[in-house]
Amino acid sequence: MSEELDSQLSAMFDDELPQGECELLARRLSRDAVLQARWGRYAAIGAAVRGGDVRLSGVVARKVHAALSAEALEARTAPIVAARAATRAGAWRRTFAGVAVAAGVAAVSILWLHGSLSPESAPLMARTSGAAATPSAGTAASYVVPQPGEPRPTVLPASELANYVVAHSEFSTPVSRRNLLSAFMASESATAAPPPAESVADPNQHADAAP
Amino acid sequence: MRRRSERFACIAFALAVTASAAAEEPRLWLERMNEALTARNYDGVFTHWQDGKVEMLRIIHRNQNGKVTERLASLDGSGREFIRTGNELACYLPDQRTVLVESQSGQEGSLLASFPSFDEKSAAFYDIKELAPTRLNRRKTRVIAVTPRDEFRYGYRLWIDESTAMPLKTQLCDAQGRVIEQVVFSSLTLASHIADAAFKPEVATDGFLWLRNDPRPLGPEPANTSALWSALKLPPGFRMTVRSAQVMPGAHDPVAHLVFTDGLASVSVFVESRSEVIRPDQQPVAGVANVGSSSAFSTVIDGHKVTAVGEVPPATVRVIASSVTHSEAILTAAPPGR
Repeated sequence: MSEELDSQLSAMFDDELPQGECELLARRLSRDAVLQARWGRYAAIGAAVRGGDVRLSGVVARKVHAALSAEALEARTAPIVAARAATRAGAWRRTFAGVAVAAGVAAVSILWLHGSLSPESAPLMARTSGAAATPSAGTAASYVVPQPGEPRPTVLPASELANYVVAHSEFSTPVSRRNLLSAFMASESATAAPPPAESVADPNQHADAAP
Repeated sequence: MRRRSERFACIAFALAVTASAAAEEPRLWLERMNEALTARNYDGVFTHWQDGKVEMLRIIHRNQNGKVTERLASLDGSGREFIRTGNELACYLPDQRTVLVESQSGQEGSLLASFPSFDEKSAAFYDIKELAPTRLNRRKTRVIAVTPRDEFRYGYRLWIDESTAMPLKTQLCDAQGRVIEQVVFSSLTLASHIADAAFKPEVATDGFLWLRNDPRPLGPEPANTSALWSALKLPPGFRMTVRSAQVMPGAHDPVAHLVFTDGLASVSVFVESRSEVIRPDQQPVAGVANVGSSSAFSTVIDGHKVTAVGEVPPATVRVIASSVTHSEAILTAAPPGR
């Protein structure tokens, strides 16, 4: 499940998803077993945190119910052709172009690999700007309702998120820290907010920061 | 007869010790790996895979008498770089023509001691076991699988070099074991010495905006201090380990910074001061954002913007951020952090 879909589902559970998106997602929910399982887990998590029963916003419940009812009607009048996601990477392609070199004196190169190993769940793809995983055949990549000319509001300005990511990384395990900062490197930057008006450029500080 | 029973007792004791040692072994490998990643000098290139995107990065890490210097640079993407020098971390963002510099008060080398430690309590929320050893590019590796027992956290699979304890390959997995992020080293060199020149940024910063924070210790606590904030309910196993207040680069007022961890995963919660001026285009929007496999959730509580960031599923940051509350009543519950 894509992160966006996961995020939408989470927002829907909290009744924070716009109505148009909610209806579309509810339709998908009605026929997607994986999504239904995820929905169930959100309910369980919510219940665990509240220490009580599973409660769902009445508005959300009505939307889901309406979508499910409509879906059932559709099912009676026309068969739903379900396309299957069938893309799965074959065997990992490994090309080893070197061998470990034990120099011994100043440095030891313990590893030289050529190429990359990608998880079985997805094929290795050359990175292109904005490239995403290939959507499954017959399945819409996103259920976001397009809103031309009106960009989706960002949760956090990019610079603020950067501050928080950096500050948080200090308290992560070394592996998590590296992953977090690496992911930040690879993240899109189009949502960058302009700097605060009171800040001024100070190129002279470059020398201060250099180690 | 008596000799035989003594022999059985010895065998039983030996088996118990062996079993205990076997159970400890995977955890020891995690400790060795963390130690290697922080204490060794190394220069490596690795690929970072996440959600169908692959990015190549280089990491150069030096530990010189406890002072950590590190450079992490994107080789084929945004051109962003992180350079740490002791307690200062500079984040070069050429795509935003900005450099964020975050300095922290405290002892140099605190990085080595700030990450969470995996203990007995943590073990209740993860299943840690060693899989069959394997060879990765002709190196003997120990494979450690860390599987979460619930949906509040992610798991790991780690291929750890047997002789150096460096992780040559790591996978982050969800609760169903699906890989959601992977890092694989394509080259890795352990060096006895790395020159200062290796830690110079390649980014030309002419005309860039430099944003620094103020690392000076904060004076009398303003209205929004870390001590006033806490979390009412947390996902199982998470506990607060740090309370602090810090000023972010480019900001004027301190934010409260709370850190919660289960011993492996950690979540930071930032609570902004009410007096912070928020521009119309920066009005907080409640919702989840993602940085790789890490999640961020922002919401507003009692007029304060509360943001949780962590290497956990989106639902976990949402739960933690939403449970944060203004809590003068429990001021004495936890000592202040660093």
